[in-house]
Amino acid sequence: MALSYREKTLYASLAAELLVYCPYFFFHQQNSVNKVAGMIAIIIALQFLLQGVIAIFTRNRVTDERDRLIELRGYRAGYLTIAALMVFGLAMLWFHATVGNLRMDNGRMGLHFLSVFFGMLVIADIAKTATQIVSYRRAL
Amino acid sequence: MPAIRNRIRELRAAREITQQQLADEVGVTRQTVIAMEQDKYSPSLETAFKVAMALGVTLEQCFQYEPRAKR
Repeated sequence: MALSYREKTLYASLAAELLVYCPYFFFHQQNSVNKVAGMIAIIIALQFLLQGVIAIFTRNRVTDERDRLIELRGYRAGYLTIAALMVFGLAMLWFHATVGNLRMDNGRMGLHFLSVFFGMLVIADIAKTATQIVSYRRAL
Repeated sequence: MPAIRNRIRELRAAREITQQQLADEVGVTRQTVIAMEQDKYSPSLETAFKVAMALGVTLEQCFQYEPRAKR
């Protein structure tokens, strides 16, 4: 089954997200504001480039009701993911605060929180994109 | 089995219309036509009417509702 325009853009998005976010989180670069800003700039540039190439080489760029339905499914999966991660994150925060190993006086704590919340957003975004791809592959 | 079945593939073949031609006529993607033909996607009422009109049949001739079938 040939890929539709929306499906191609989703594969490109997923590839760009994995290409940029995986090295960022796995190599522990989250403790630098400059690297966070650089990563955001790279993901925007990469998405712009990939979406542009797909738009140029895809003649039929029609989207329909099924695309919108699949998009909604993706957003629902993304929302559920971020809600679950938020609950988990708050539970972990409460646990560490209770046992007394949460040192709020640490200067890097703010950046650490920023990184954790950013990570949640990234995971939710990947879940959204992956759900949409799976929905397309299963025909809905 | 889905609750809504259709005869799109059969009617399209009888009229020698390609999936892409039907998709263009209805205003959907070819992938949506494929999904409908495989009974994996039940279209909205508006799209169902457009498909039936494009194939030159009534809605009932193109789509059938089978209440006992599981979606």
